[in-house]
Amino acid sequence: MTGTATAIPSVTGNAMSRPLVEIENLEVSFVTRDATVRAVNGLSLRIMPGEVLCLIGESGSGKSVTMRALMRLLPKGKTRFGGRVRVGDRDILSLRERELKSVRGAEIAMVFQEPMTSLDPVYTVGDQIAETVMRHEGCGKTQAMERALELLKLVRVPLPEQRLRAYPHELSGGLRQRIMIATALSCRPKLLLADEPTTALDATVQIQVLILLRKLQAEFGMSVIFVTHDLGVAAQIADKVAVMYAGQIVEYGAADDVLLRPSHPYTLGLLASTVHGQKRDKDIEGIGGSPPDLRALPPGCSFAPRCRYARTACTAAMPPAATFDGVTVRCYHAREIRENANAARATTVN
Amino acid sequence: MSMTESDFTSARPRLDTVPAGDPRDRGGKAQPLLIVENLAKHFPIKNGLFGRKRGAVRAVDDVSFVILKGETLGVVGESGCGKSTLARLLMRLMPLTDGHLVFDGDPVEALRGLSLKEFRRNVQMVFQDSSSSLNPRMPIIDSVAFGPRAHKVKRSAARRAAAALLEKVGLSPAMFGGRYPHELSGGQKQRVNIARALALEPRLLILDEAVSALDKSVAAQVLNLLRYLKRHLNLTYVFISHDLGVVQYLSDRILVMYLGQVVEIGPAADVYSAPKHPYTQALLASQLSMDPGRRIEQAPVSGDPPSPANPPSGCRFHTRCPFSEAVCAAKAPAFGDAMDAAIHLARCHLTDPTSGHSLAGSALSSLRITAPETSAA
Repeated sequence: MTGTATAIPSVTGNAMSRPLVEIENLEVSFVTRDATVRAVNGLSLRIMPGEVLCLIGESGSGKSVTMRALMRLLPKGKTRFGGRVRVGDRDILSLRERELKSVRGAEIAMVFQEPMTSLDPVYTVGDQIAETVMRHEGCGKTQAMERALELLKLVRVPLPEQRLRAYPHELSGGLRQRIMIATALSCRPKLLLADEPTTALDATVQIQVLILLRKLQAEFGMSVIFVTHDLGVAAQIADKVAVMYAGQIVEYGAADDVLLRPSHPYTLGLLASTVHGQKRDKDIEGIGGSPPDLRALPPGCSFAPRCRYARTACTAAMPPAATFDGVTVRCYHAREIRENANAARATTVN
Repeated sequence: MSMTESDFTSARPRLDTVPAGDPRDRGGKAQPLLIVENLAKHFPIKNGLFGRKRGAVRAVDDVSFVILKGETLGVVGESGCGKSTLARLLMRLMPLTDGHLVFDGDPVEALRGLSLKEFRRNVQMVFQDSSSSLNPRMPIIDSVAFGPRAHKVKRSAARRAAAALLEKVGLSPAMFGGRYPHELSGGQKQRVNIARALALEPRLLILDEAVSALDKSVAAQVLNLLRYLKRHLNLTYVFISHDLGVVQYLSDRILVMYLGQVVEIGPAADVYSAPKHPYTQALLASQLSMDPGRRIEQAPVSGDPPSPANPPSGCRFHTRCPFSEAVCAAKAPAFGDAMDAAIHLARCHLTDPTSGHSLAGSALSSLRITAPETSAA
């Protein structure tokens, strides 16, 4: 399957307990004439087989870049990588272009935010799904079309026989996104990357697509990395949640730990600034300031300039990732925040 | 009633006090600020060599409601339901197919009524896309001063007022005034857009998805700013958004649109706690909880909204509605008197005991669309 050059020899252990994806100290920067934009700064992450991980964060936090790095879908020549990315047995960052082609779409598949721009307007959806199947499985057109029909049934497209012959513009947004999911699943990938797949959809359609994705994930047993800025979406679908800020993961843990008992000041702020049933006569507690300029990151913790807990230590050096109570947090004050929150919860219960 | 420099500077309410009575108020508190009657906008669908009209997209179809003085009217609905077309019609940014507007007792663009120019001075708008609504070749202070200049205010006075407005929206004029839009972040640009909309001292501000494109933490800051400005400048808002949480936070009354029609309107607390229209119920049930222990197991309604070019017969929601019966496809439900702002109305046969629907008049709670959730762990 793979050449020995691309396998990472250091990893041992049986397949089940071994993470499907291991990212170690990933750095991605974009080099232009005027500046170097440091989009991802030393990110480490593991994803187990069959696990759903949500990357949450605001625009410019590096969520999408991290995900694209997993498929190396970033402009060649302008992108500098650092660190290591392993998916299955392959070291993604050292693969050759030809090897990458067999990985993309087959082992790792991706669903994008805008289904209309990722579908080709001059081919029927059946042709587009069949193309992927033929490319990776080497079968004929008839067989591939049969498989495409199966896939449309799988993603619960009504009237699949007719829709196979439809062009993208004839379909609604929800159906187009189902087609994208069908295409992504056509080669039974081990890892599905979903970049804000429901953001462009209406609320009543979004929940349908989320439920579908959850069912298919369980059926296929695949790992999913789901990028979103919507905490509600993360709560709906994630096993694990990683909160990103300025190209780093600032908090990582099980979904209910991170979303219900956050420990990083940024996660706290993100939850507070999401409007969901706040009192009307009170201001929303947001986060002051704006995200840092990735061309000139501040020394120390990138969140320190906006953080109410910031002390001098915070601006001196980036806090290391510390793990306690099952969450990993990059903050000097995380323990204190968590203990205070626990104490407050205890008093309200009693 | 043309705008002179003196009333531009003197009539401005002071920031630190809530104005007791607005000197611009004419009809008194009880008279709606804007009456919208039978508003309609149909876009023709043309095809063929000679561009023959084949049909029409009824983007806004027979919409009537009132906007009270000092309230925030939240408008919700999914994409393609006509929210943005409604906003543009309220500002008269496009010709109306039908209907008319009455602003504080004065019919707009009618004989002895308000001229369009005067009307637009009173009604201003903030758009969703903060960068494409600013001129990239103009320093922001000039963008803010542009409206008053167009209304014949002297350059120096307009710039002075613009500087004061930038201060009000939280941007230091000394630091930001000379900058161009590309030098600002999304949140800052939206603040400039708000300042620009306020430059003519409007009484009604239409906010079309004004915070939707912003990150959550930045959107929260802008929402707080909007609340602050409303209190201090005696403003009335029409707040259009697809985010039900944000609408609930800001609005006094809610208007729900589906395929170009108002399907429900009423006081915010009533609409959110006891929605009458099945569509509103489905929309509220689709709201995602932030608690991973409370996941929605089954979608409240299936399918996508139909195309507004070819809306379903009768009740436009009947193709997706779980309570749909033959009468729903045959007959369009009646809508009550939308001119009375206190009533909670829904365009649904279920709420009308004489409609002929077998469940009509049943208790609302027994007919509520909900989304089954996983039980909390």
